[in-house]
Amino acid sequence: MKKILIIILTLSVFTSCKKYLDVNTTPNNPFAVPPNTILPTATIAMAFANSNDLNRVTSALSQHIAGVANQTAAYDIYLLDGSFDNQWSGEIYNGAINNLQILIDQYSATSPAYSGIAKLEMAYVFSMATDLWGDVPYSQAGQGLKYEQPRFDKVQDIYQGNSALGITSLFDLVKSGLADLDKPSELKPGKDDLVYKGDLTKWKRMANTLLLKFAIHVSNASPALAKSTIQGVLTGNNYINSNALDFEVPFGLSVGNQNAIYTFNYTNRPGDQQLSQRLLDLSNSLNDNVRLSKFFTKPNGIFTGFDNGSTAVPLTISARSQYTTYLIGAGGEAPVRLLTNFQTNFILAEAALILGTAGDPNAYYQAGITASMQKVGMTAAEIASYFSANPTVVTLSGTTEDMRKQIITQKYIAWIGNGIEAFNDYRRTGYPQLALAQNALGDNPNVIPTRLVYTPSELSRNPNAPSPRPKTDVKLWWAK
Amino acid sequence: MRKFVTMFLCVILALSQTMAQNRTFTGKVNDAKDGTPLASASLISQDRKIGTKTNADGNFTIVLPDNVKVLVVSSIGYTTQTISVGTSLILNVQLKREDAALTEVVVTSLGITRDKRSVNYSIQTLKAEQIADKGETNLVNALQGKVAGVSITGASGSAGASSNINIRGISSFTGNNQPLFVLDGIPISNDVDRTNGGPLGTLGDNQPGNRAMDIDINNIESLNILKGPAASVLYGSRAAAGAIIITTKKGGNAKGGAQVLINSAYSSQTVIGLPQLQNKYGQGAGSVYNPISGLSWGPAFGSTPSIANGLLIAGVAADYQAYPNNIRDFYENGTVLDNSLTINGGDAKQNYTFSISNLDQKGILPNTAVKRTAVKFGANTTLRDKIKLGGSLTFTNTLQDGILGGNGNSALGVLSGLARNIDLTSYKTKGTYKNPDGSNNWLIPNQDNPYFDSYENPLKSNLYRITGNVTVGYDILKWLNIGYRLGVDAYTDRRKQIFAVTSGQRPTGQVLENSIFRSEVNGDLLITAKKEEFLIKGLNVSALLGQNINQRLFQSVYLRGDGLAIPGFYNVSNATVLTNGSNEYTTKQRLVGYYAQASFAYKNYLFLDLTGRADQSSTLPINNSTYFYPSITAGFVFTDAFKMNSNILNYGKLRANYAKVGRDADPYLLSNTYSSWGFGNNVANFNFPLATTAGFGASSRIAPLVLSPEFTSSYEVGLNLRLFKSKVTIDAAYYSSASKDQIIDVALPVSTGYSSKTTNIGELTNKGVELVVNVNLIDTRYFQWDVTGNFTKNVNKVVSISPGIDNFRVPGTAFIGSFPSIKVGYPYGVILGGVIPTSPDGERLINPATGLFQPTVANQVLSDPNADYKVGFTNNIKYKNFSLGVTFDFTKGGQILSFTAATYKSRGIWAPTGEDRDKPRILPGVIQDASGKYNPNNIQIPAQTYWQALGGLQSEFNVYDATVFRMREISFGYELASAVTQRLKIGGVRFSIFARNVFYVAPNAFFDPELNTQGAGNIRGLELQSAPNARTIGVNLKITL
Repeated sequence: MKKILIIILTLSVFTSCKKYLDVNTTPNNPFAVPPNTILPTATIAMAFANSNDLNRVTSALSQHIAGVANQTAAYDIYLLDGSFDNQWSGEIYNGAINNLQILIDQYSATSPAYSGIAKLEMAYVFSMATDLWGDVPYSQAGQGLKYEQPRFDKVQDIYQGNSALGITSLFDLVKSGLADLDKPSELKPGKDDLVYKGDLTKWKRMANTLLLKFAIHVSNASPALAKSTIQGVLTGNNYINSNALDFEVPFGLSVGNQNAIYTFNYTNRPGDQQLSQRLLDLSNSLNDNVRLSKFFTKPNGIFTGFDNGSTAVPLTISARSQYTTYLIGAGGEAPVRLLTNFQTNFILAEAALILGTAGDPNAYYQAGITASMQKVGMTAAEIASYFSANPTVVTLSGTTEDMRKQIITQKYIAWIGNGIEAFNDYRRTGYPQLALAQNALGDNPNVIPTRLVYTPSELSRNPNAPSPRPKTDVKLWWAK
Repeated sequence: MRKFVTMFLCVILALSQTMAQNRTFTGKVNDAKDGTPLASASLISQDRKIGTKTNADGNFTIVLPDNVKVLVVSSIGYTTQTISVGTSLILNVQLKREDAALTEVVVTSLGITRDKRSVNYSIQTLKAEQIADKGETNLVNALQGKVAGVSITGASGSAGASSNINIRGISSFTGNNQPLFVLDGIPISNDVDRTNGGPLGTLGDNQPGNRAMDIDINNIESLNILKGPAASVLYGSRAAAGAIIITTKKGGNAKGGAQVLINSAYSSQTVIGLPQLQNKYGQGAGSVYNPISGLSWGPAFGSTPSIANGLLIAGVAADYQAYPNNIRDFYENGTVLDNSLTINGGDAKQNYTFSISNLDQKGILPNTAVKRTAVKFGANTTLRDKIKLGGSLTFTNTLQDGILGGNGNSALGVLSGLARNIDLTSYKTKGTYKNPDGSNNWLIPNQDNPYFDSYENPLKSNLYRITGNVTVGYDILKWLNIGYRLGVDAYTDRRKQIFAVTSGQRPTGQVLENSIFRSEVNGDLLITAKKEEFLIKGLNVSALLGQNINQRLFQSVYLRGDGLAIPGFYNVSNATVLTNGSNEYTTKQRLVGYYAQASFAYKNYLFLDLTGRADQSSTLPINNSTYFYPSITAGFVFTDAFKMNSNILNYGKLRANYAKVGRDADPYLLSNTYSSWGFGNNVANFNFPLATTAGFGASSRIAPLVLSPEFTSSYEVGLNLRLFKSKVTIDAAYYSSASKDQIIDVALPVSTGYSSKTTNIGELTNKGVELVVNVNLIDTRYFQWDVTGNFTKNVNKVVSISPGIDNFRVPGTAFIGSFPSIKVGYPYGVILGGVIPTSPDGERLINPATGLFQPTVANQVLSDPNADYKVGFTNNIKYKNFSLGVTFDFTKGGQILSFTAATYKSRGIWAPTGEDRDKPRILPGVIQDASGKYNPNNIQIPAQTYWQALGGLQSEFNVYDATVFRMREISFGYELASAVTQRLKIGGVRFSIFARNVFYVAPNAFFDPELNTQGAGNIRGLELQSAPNARTIGVNLKITL
């Protein structure tokens, strides 16, 4: 009897003990969330990555702006080593890629509207990464413990695919996303689709425009692929062909919701960067200062530039030309523009010129300039006046290369505020011709960097990262 | 034979008692050496039937029957003496002091007191007089220089700044490496709760205190520091990093009466360790004055104003002169008023203690303060000689007001490198640090006036804490006791951080309401058995069986309101955005432990202890949550065993132990979760929700599929010697520990989509030597001189992390470019950053185009914060009623990365930057020519360029050797002669003056290198523009009634 009592007592102690210890369920975080909470995260991640530090470094390297102090000043003289951990990690792979992968993994079967959008955004984000760094983890990236040390896929394999290595091309990723959008979907995005508010037809336009962007990217290295892709898109005639359709991610006015261009330049680091004197000189030479004033402020009625790499004493902050409303909005709500109508037109102009795709290069060229000018808020009268006053600027002439230079120069101006696109086109075409920054340092002080350096964290954590890392003067596969 | 005689005497006594007649004896008990009257000395008849105690003056009266011929006189700390009762009715007794070390009582795990002789591991005791009255208010700092094996570094000299303490090095990669603090038997919190996390974590953080600051040092009776796993194994996981056992003052020594202790201290604090400044050049760059520049590279003072040098502005000469003390004068005179009253009463059986204390400290930074009030009541009683019941309750209220420090737009960030011509203090005296509309008034755009930051952006903390325990013990049999102890430590800390509209960090204003709750409940069931002469002659055995239930709760509710509509109205109702970082973080963890200990003592010279503990933790997978760990310790007093005691070597003990301690995980590591998302850092950031759209994402950490506890196993050998009649005592220890299967969030390449996975991996070792030497130089009736020295050397090494992973970052906030890291083959916490490439000969490479250094190579070891060794040295001298105590300490090696040093150079305010400015400089290094040959650099650059090349925040040129020698404290006291106190009918009066942090010598740094901006935690060796240290000078008055 006594024995039984002891056993019962012991058992009850142990079972209650098990219950007592069962308190390890976190009340702080959910274990599952609906897709309409993940999509906004991935979308903002993509836009934030595009407009934050990667934008600052590429804007300095492509000489839209000049670094006056701190990090941007270092980028301006090609000191890139040790940077971009937050961008690679927090913004691209951990902010965007893994969450997009979750949408793809969890919703391809039931709600392909989500997986379709996720594939398109994923293609955009991966292209950003490979365009900036070259070989990057792609086919094995974002899959957690499945590949703990993701392989670095080659740029050409990322763009063209490599079936032997199991690499789907970015083109095919977009096409797969397009296919998903046509399937019936249980859940459909609404206001959680920050860009198109759930309008999947617009996403298809975004997808086709993305194909155009990829195609022109590979036009040096793989002209056949470029040409066939562009012709295909032109035939389908379902791409971003008006400013109203632009693929741009909106931000908010509230603290914490503002875009990175605003929070960096107007809240936290107002003294770090300024209009590049070289862009100002270019704009002056093209009589394009009305448009420039939509991008940069004119303190006391004049533009003030700072030369790239200069060690001169800078003007007081209030006297410097800095980004203005088009890029920062009234208070940080300006959208981050990722694919635009002016871009489509410039791509089609260039493709018609160099690849012989359909259409009149000059017509596309002028449509691109007009779209850009409309986009930044120039009035119809201002645009007309610019066109009539500068016929040589707005009309393609000379050799193919001359005309290409004109197209890319206009595209370069149109992309002020998105340094990544300007930097891409510069490396691909060499336009506009940029002089070295003063006092250049870095891996090679004699060459404007043609790629970013891998981040310290990826280099130290991933044995598959190229070692030693490629120097910044090593050109990408698609570069000129 | 002796036994027989005793027995015989007893019989005689018993017989004679029957015909007793009473006589009244009076007398006095004194210290044999200095004649001090001994209060509370006990006098008892040999049959233990009649007894009394001396009063505060050492006097006693006892009524004895005729037949009592012998009295046993004893007093704590004195050799018990037997006196024979003769015909004289006056009995004066002189008691000899015990050889303190011979029967030193130490408090070990679970509050068990033991004779140090029987303890086979390293334990060091500090008594009240070694820590109190020295002008320190934070218990952790009061240990500095006094304990071997312990490393302590304070964050700064600001009021309430936290201090980091590690015992025998760091043993957990990412876990808590602070020792467990145990107050009167119950574990209490010494946590640091940070409020300004996220982007403000290092950029302008406020320095909150470590919670041991809530303990009133004046109320401490003794401290016992348990160093190795063998010492703390009974506390289990909680004490894996060692334990500090605090015993507070109790009643019971007042022979039934009451003893009143009054202590009052006042001290003043001033800043020390500020670098020398140049006062030749003012604001600007390139020798041109610029009134909105943060640099001091402008024209020389006294230059003729011209348009070219910027001093002639619109025809008017600028007001341009040096303010040599503009930085120093920002720091104010701090004051500390520390008062306490303690009443102890009762006797050994029934007693009580009551104390009330108040600390009122005004910091060296403007608008900073610590105010602490504590009330304690405790009582013990014995029922029927068998049941002991006791408890105590302490109520504490601590207020801490702090200001922002650290790199970035904080008061101290701006101050660090303040241009030489700015009359900073005038902003305070004239009240002009804000404009009439309340906005920030500062000449440099987008910076805060340091006074604006101090007065308009403070963090205020209001903490209420209750610490209490109840114990009950029952002697079932003479040799068997069962007891239970329940302890609670709980606090609520309500904090409010405000940022005024127009402040640099939060231009639109901010209110943060942070409410922190932490509690810990501990229940211990203890069954102890003691048997003397067990089985064989000379063998004493004691056994202990226990069970522990532990629960820890934590909750931090964080309500952040941004965008204040009405400036100056700091209520969240005034905020336009409430979702920006507002959250709640709650944890609950529980643990059930079972433990046992068996101790064997053979003839009081051979000792063996065996312990084992099994823990079940809620934080481990539920089917794999139990883990066991043992210890074995042995000690051998060879001098007794071989009867080799001599006047040269009168005591010698060898000890050795092996122990293993398990450590459980943090709560909630076992599942993958999602969280509301944010991006960016201090320069640009984004937080969901975006208006009304939520954004969640997968946690960047991947949960483990299986997880087991991490274990530290260690062995230790030690030697304890007493030489020359115990005039010299030596305690030496060597230890070696290996911590394996660390529970860490091991870094993943973020290209996996995740930054880490939780797993058991990696190994960290610590090996070290500790030495404590005490020399009793002089010991006469009037003059005593004791010298104690201690030596600590710990060698820490990261043996492995995980295949393919060479390093990862110590969790916490740090800057890109200088990350405290865990790197294979290096000691814990080396700082990784960019290092300038060198030639094969180790000369730095210079860019031939610019004459500047070649760009740095990222991710190299920039500095190592671990000291080579530490030495502490204390002198205690007593002459008659005077006493003098001096503590020095010396830290050799260890490095500090100083952002202050960087800005003092790059902004051109450090004294050497003012030397020969007009002369060109050449950076030290070599230039590689076309043939590959390295030639010395010969490219001349201007002084400003030169110093800015050396002044990069995270540059190797701002890594300094932290070797420092310091006079830690000195106190000089006078005790009123007993003749006077007797006349005044008081117990004693002691008056002392003291100074702390008196001076330091840092041969290799131009500032005080004993700083660690982030205070308590695993990040060390980073000085991110924190406040400097403070010197304290004060007076103390102690009155015993």
